[in-house]
Formats: sequence, structure tokens, C-alpha cells
Amino acid sequence: MTPRHHVGIIRFPGTNCDLDTWEAISLVPGLVPVWVSHKEKSAGDLAAIILPGGFSYGDYFRTGAIAARSPVMDLVGDFAQKGHPVLGICNGFQILAEAGILPGTLLPNSGRTFLCQEESLVIENCRTPFTTLFDPGTPVTLPIAHQEGRFFIDPDRLQDIEKKGQVLLRYLSNPNGSLREIAGLTNVTGNVVGLMPHPERRASSLFGRPDGLLFFQSLALYLERQSLRTLSEAH
Amino acid sequence: MTADTISRFKIPAHEMERIRSFLGRDPSLTEEAVFSALWSEHCSYKSSRIHLRKFSSKGPRVLMGPGENAGVVRVTSRTGIAFKMESHNHPSYIEPFQGAATGVGGILRDIFAMGARPVALTNSLVFGSLRQPRQLTLFRRVVAGIAAYGNSIGVPTMGGEVWFDERYAKNILVNAFALGLVAEDGIMSAVPPPKPLLAVYLGNKTGRDGVSGAAMASRSFTDGDTDLRPQVQVADPFVGKKVMEATLTIIREGLAGAIQDMGAAGLTSSSVEMAAKAGLGIEIDVDKVPLRDFSMEPWEILLSESQERMLLLVEEPRVERIMDIARESQVSAAVVGRIISDPIFRVRKGETVFAEVPVPYLTDHAPLYDRPARARVHAPSPSAHHSPSEAGRHSIVELFHRLLDHPNGGSAEWISRQFDFEVGTRTLLPPGHDVAVVDLREEEHAVAISMAGFSHPLTRDPGRGAMLLVAKCVTDLAAVGAWPVGLTDCLNFGNPERPETMSDFVLAVSGIADATKRLGIPVVSGNVSFYNETDGISIPPTPILATCGLLSDRRRLVPGRTFRAGLSLALAGASHDLSLGGSYLDWILDEPEPDPVPQVDWETLARLQPFMNVVLAGRTLCASRAIGRGGLLRSLLQIVAGGPTLGVALSLPRLDNPLQTFFSEAPGRILLAFEPEHARFIEQSALEFGIPFRTIGITVPHLWNIRYQDRDGRSKELSDSPEQLKRRYSASLAGQMEELP
Repeated sequence: MTPRHHVGIIRFPGTNCDLDTWEAISLVPGLVPVWVSHKEKSAGDLAAIILPGGFSYGDYFRTGAIAARSPVMDLVGDFAQKGHPVLGICNGFQILAEAGILPGTLLPNSGRTFLCQEESLVIENCRTPFTTLFDPGTPVTLPIAHQEGRFFIDPDRLQDIEKKGQVLLRYLSNPNGSLREIAGLTNVTGNVVGLMPHPERRASSLFGRPDGLLFFQSLALYLERQSLRTLSEAH
Repeated sequence: MTADTISRFKIPAHEMERIRSFLGRDPSLTEEAVFSALWSEHCSYKSSRIHLRKFSSKGPRVLMGPGENAGVVRVTSRTGIAFKMESHNHPSYIEPFQGAATGVGGILRDIFAMGARPVALTNSLVFGSLRQPRQLTLFRRVVAGIAAYGNSIGVPTMGGEVWFDERYAKNILVNAFALGLVAEDGIMSAVPPPKPLLAVYLGNKTGRDGVSGAAMASRSFTDGDTDLRPQVQVADPFVGKKVMEATLTIIREGLAGAIQDMGAAGLTSSSVEMAAKAGLGIEIDVDKVPLRDFSMEPWEILLSESQERMLLLVEEPRVERIMDIARESQVSAAVVGRIISDPIFRVRKGETVFAEVPVPYLTDHAPLYDRPARARVHAPSPSAHHSPSEAGRHSIVELFHRLLDHPNGGSAEWISRQFDFEVGTRTLLPPGHDVAVVDLREEEHAVAISMAGFSHPLTRDPGRGAMLLVAKCVTDLAAVGAWPVGLTDCLNFGNPERPETMSDFVLAVSGIADATKRLGIPVVSGNVSFYNETDGISIPPTPILATCGLLSDRRRLVPGRTFRAGLSLALAGASHDLSLGGSYLDWILDEPEPDPVPQVDWETLARLQPFMNVVLAGRTLCASRAIGRGGLLRSLLQIVAGGPTLGVALSLPRLDNPLQTFFSEAPGRILLAFEPEHARFIEQSALEFGIPFRTIGITVPHLWNIRYQDRDGRSKELSDSPEQLKRRYSASLAGQMEELP
């Protein structure tokens, strides 16, 4: 029997892509979505954690500022530290950056308006738990929907993340003024990923390609291999 | 006018007289405030009510009709759609960001008050010319306000309409539509059951914002109204989301007997209207109302339009569970009163009574006016008219460019990309289509929404123009294979005390009523916005319609555009009256002697959807779209919008009137794109349904070429570059908005 891995979806007050993320995870054999409250303190048997998009706490302050200081983030920090997969999508990425779990920050778009549109992107790092099924250099089409997506970081650390291959995803034509067209990145150890585009919105599609599903299928494959490895180590 | 007839709340003298004769005394300050709100045009519909009776809300699918927070129509074996549209014109002009945001919040509350989870928003926006800096600001901030609310609360704004016209410069229109899904056995009502009930307040605390908003929206603006901002409400989508989830939980657990949102006239209208529907009374203790500002007077608490608030009527044993839910959701809740058997509205502050008015005085006995109507004197009779020739300033290529270069004819992408149009992942067609399509995720069904609010045909002929709007919706729906199941409207007009405005209103209402009855479409909810007038100048008659249609199989849906070359293009539908009156071209040219507004071919229109259903079921189409604003040429440009270089090559027969062929917006015509091998099947189907059908050309990359013969049999050719046309189309609105620093 295929092991079923629990993927925790964190719901902050104001999160609004929670159900979409739930639906996307449900489409992948081997993954089982579970809700995680913003007050949760224990990771239990979670195999991975996703911070979905939305407007946590209304995002009236700097985006993600309150969510990054809510109780569940201690759990997320520990979980990431231990090397487990963590994915932040849109507001989730903003929260991870604000919490210092991912480098850099996300500033208001250079055009100063909310942008909801499809973007062509290139995947550069296929060694993370969320991108193993992609080929490096693969072009993908995913939608963005954000007002604060302009990736920014100081020049030294920019060089650093470029050198270490932490850039995961780049826009083909920069919609929001992000430095080096960065649309997504990973931490040094590669287990934490932040994406401004929404893969959960392209998990199934009536007309276009469901490019988003591969991120979650990658996770299933990664967790599958992890558990095999643990099993063989146990033997 | 003597001092004692002057109302502190601007109630007209003759209505003050009526209040005095009802009460047999002078009203107290609080009572006068209550009358001013409930007798306002906005709450009482006193000038429109007798005319709105013409609408039929009956139909086999109708689960809830007018009189509720929203209408509900059954769309699957167990689910209904709750939908409604509302105006927020006056507040948006005064404070565009908050005015528009609270418009969205207000319509969403109407939907979830029914127990329905909101899944789609659309809007219709009408502004003055963007050449004025003031309009640019208003427009930019209204779009941002809608985005701020919808994006944050997580309900997708799937589409809408926009129109710029100088005549709206001082009275912009911001109409918001919302649609929600509700299980048939989970529908909530605003009519309480005959039981002892407590009034429970749920949501945001009450502040001074929006006090007397309803009365403000029931008056014309004058230049003296420089600062009405305290009468505009402030939106909080974060609290709105918490209130929405709490309300839906309360309804799901069956805890409330009746629910109404505190919208216009806040606590007053919600409490009085619910009590009135049950023939009962209600007592409110303003001391119990959660406040942000403790210095508020009773009348201010009653008339505050602070946002994100609901009023629930609840049986006592269930109050505790509601309080728990409120606590978990981190929103305020309090018991603020109770239903009483005497039909009296009583307002207390502790032991002191501030108002005591029989409920019927406030509702059933509110003034009802059959205001005088006098038709406008229109331009000379159409028979004297000669259609413009296509020479000189009427060169077809030039005219087409003019249509595209104006923001009214360009792409609305600058607007739609600011809206999160796919959160919830039920969005089956992205913006840029004539309809929004919502996936029901049940029985493979989907719901299409068509908006129609183009006022120019009504300027020419209010009755026929209104019919045209209904026909336009039905054509839009047919193009995706959807059958109309219900309609909601927002009737935006000027000052009803002017006989010309009243005449426009009566004709437009009759037109909508006639057209919907012919097609069997129930009008399940609606809203009237009068007094869109400033300094004595009214807006043109502008009813805005939203029609919902049912698609039985979402998998058959085709988009309204293609990227593929080599597809056949054909025109299906009625085409005997292609008059240009009321069209976008007519608006651009503004001829002194316009064409008449075209007459709708109802017979063909009704057969269009069954025909499209067959063609879509055969999986033979690649794209389809209604001939809409701008006529055939603009619709052609839109259908090849899937690729940056795709164009068309058309061969048309002899055209008696090329302008009509290329620019008429007569409804009931659909443009189809399909593989040439399916031509026979589609043509045969059209023949069987009695639908006029003609193949007109093919899609070709890098080419825009249209050949035809003129009246005298001379060959004519229109050539253009598709790339350049597409650049014009995408630049006309975005160019204006992005040039700014």
C-alpha cells in the first residue's frame, strides 16, 4: 500500500487560497491535506507544510508582518530547521520572508497596483522537494495574483543566493519589478520554497496546461523516496 | 416654509406633515431620524414601487424572489444560486476607494445572509471622460477599492463592464453584482418565523461612519456638497471575511430564525424590515449595541452604516452557541433587542424610550408616489434619415480605428488584472469574455453571468433600448451555450421628480418587463438608484442588468478567442434589422439624425441557445462569441485575440449597407470559429433550428483582409495589420492610465 503523507495547510485569519490548495493536494495520490490552525504548536505527523495565499490578518500593515509573529510560525521554523519540506505560496512566501525563513523581502509592485495575470516562467532549480519533476530551464505558465511581489534583497546577499543556486523561478517578462526577475526561491538547504505564482490554481484546467500540479506531484515523489530511505535505513 | 416644518433630516415638508398626522404629535429627534431613513427613496422605493410590479419573478426554478436579501434560483438537483446587484454610486463619487469597497462588501453580505457562499463578483462601472484629471482619480480609486475588498475576502471578481461618457462626470455609476451557492435546504430568509425571538447583533462595532448614508443617496448633489465624507462608510474586508464565515456557520447549524445585513440605514432598516415582514414589532436597546465611539447619540447608532454587521433573529436557547461562534471568529456579538407582538418599533437606551413608532407607519404606510411622467421630445422621425455613406469621414478603416482608440472600445485588461479573478478556482473563462462562467462543481454544471449596462440605446429610445439590453444578455449567454434562468437589475436614473426622468424610467421598466416575460426569464431581485443628478443635470437612463444562465455541461464550453490559424469563421443568428441607432458607432459619430434602435427578432433569439447547445455538444467549435459592442469588426478582432499575430481573411457578398454589416450591434448574432471539416454539421444544425447562417472567412496569421462588393457591385477591400489593431485595442485604456507619473 502506498503510504499517505499528511500535508499541513496553515490557515491564518484572512488566508483565502486554503481551499484551492486543499483541492490541489487532494488530486495527488499519496498526499492527504490536513488543516493546521494559526495557533498550532505541534507538527504532529506532518510530512510537509504549505502556507497558502491570501491576506493574513487583512495585510493592512506590511504584508505578512502579523502572521510571521503568530504562534504557528515557531512550529514552521523548527520544521524547516529539521529539513522537512515547507512551501509558501504568494502571501505564504511573504510570511516566510518576513519570518526570516527565506531571504529577501517582497515590496509593493513597481506599477503599484494588484496584478492578476498569467506569467511565463523558467524553473532553474529542480533539486527541491517541490520541483523534482521539472527539467532545469523548463518554461511553465502560472498565474500571479498579488500587490506585493517585487522581490528585493541587498546586493551582497543577492549575489550569494545566485551563487548558491537558490533562485528557483524567474519571470520571462518582469511584471512587478523583482530583482533579477526572481519569482521564487529556496533556502540554502533547499527544503523551504517560496513562490509568488500560484501552482494550486493550475492543478487542473479546462483549457490550458495544468503546470501547477507538477509542484505537488514532485512533493509526493520526494516524500515517497524519503520514506523508502527511512525504511531501508531501519532495516 | 415655517420653522416647524423644516426637518433636521431634510425630510420634505409634506412628508413631515404626514408623519405628524400619523403620530398625532411631533416626532422626537430619534423618530425623525428613523423616518428620514426608512422613508428615503433608497429604502422605501417610493417613486419606483408601483412600476416594479410589472416585473415577473415567477418561474419553476425560482426558490426565492424579491423581498429577500437576494433572489435564489435552482441550478442543480440540490443547489441554488443566490444573486443580486446593487449600486454604490453616491458614496463612490464622494470617496471612491471606500465607496466602491463598501459596495462590494454590501452586496456580499446580501448573498451570505441567504446562507449562500459567495463565489463570484462582477461589476459595471460608468465614468466621465478620462481626459479630466478628476475622472482619472475617481476611476483609479474605484478600481482599487473593488480590488481591495474582493481580493482580500477571497471572492473572485470575474468580469464586468466599463463605459466612459461625459454625461456621467458628476454622477459616476458603481454597480456591484455578487453570486453565491446555497443548498436548497439551507436557504436562510429575512422573514422571521412566528416565535419569540431575540435580536442578535453580529460583526464590526458601530461607529459614526455612514450616518444617514441612505438619505444622502436619495438626494441630488449640488455644488455646495463639498464634504459629505462622514456619510461614507469604511470597508474592512478582513472583518468582513470573519463575519461571513461566522454567519455561514450559524446558518449551517440552523441557529437563526431570520437574518438581514445592516446595509443602508443600518440597524434601523434591518430590524424594522424583518419585524414588518412577520407583522410584528421590535424593541432595540441602543445601550447594548457594540460601539467604537461611546459618545454616539441613539439616532446616530440607529442610522450608522458602519460596515461588516449582520442582524440575526434568534430563539433564546440558541444565543449561547452564537456567542461562542462569534468568539471563535473574533467578531463582536450582542443581544440588542427582541421581537415584540405589538407591531411597534421601540428604541430604548436603558430605561429611557427614545422612539416609539408603529411599524406599519415606517414600511407599508411609507409614501408611495405615482410621479408624473412626460416623454422627452426626441430627434426628428427616423424616416427622414439617410445612413451615412462609407466615404470620407465614414471610411470603414478609420471608423474602426476610432472605435478601438477610445477607451470604450479598447481592452479592459487594465481593470481586470487588478482583480483576483480566479481565487476559488471556479473561474472557467478569464476576463476579456462577454460572460463570466462559474464552475458549480456539481453534475458538471456551470453558471454564466452576462452584464449589460450600455445606456446609449436608451438615450435614443428608452423602451426599445431596455429590450436590447435583455436581448444582449441572452445572446452573450447563448454564445457559451447557457440558458437564461434569472435576471437581476440595478436601475440607475436621475431625479424622479422630473417628469422626463420618470418617463424614461417607466419606459425602461416596461421594456425590461416585456422582454423578460417574452423569454420567460424571472426578475428575482433588483435595486433602484434615483437622484443620479448634479446641479439639475441627470444621467442618461442607465439600467444595468445581470442575467444568469445555466450550462448543463461545463466540458463543452469553448472560449471566446482562439490562437489557431486556418479556422473557418461564420456568423449565426438574426440579421434582418441591423440599424445603427444606439450603437457604439452611433455614440462616436453622434449624428443629429440617428438610425432607429434595432428591433429584436425574439423568435430567432429564443432558438439561438438550443442551436448552440447542439453545436457545442458536437464538440465542433474552437471559439464563439456574441457580436457585441462595436459590431462585427471588433468582435472579429476579439475572437482572434488568442495569438498576437492572428488575423482574418473575409469574403463577403454584395453589401447594401457596409456600415451596418461591420458596426451594427443588433443582438442575436454569434461569431463562430471552427475546423473547416465541421462546416457541414454546423450549417445543417443552423438550418434545422431556422438560424440564419453564413460562412464569412478564415483565420490567418499576419493578415487582416476583408473583401466585399458595395451597393453598386464594385469590389472593395479593407486591409490592416492585425498586430497594429491589437496594439490599438490594448493601448486605448491602459495607455491613458499608465502615462501618469
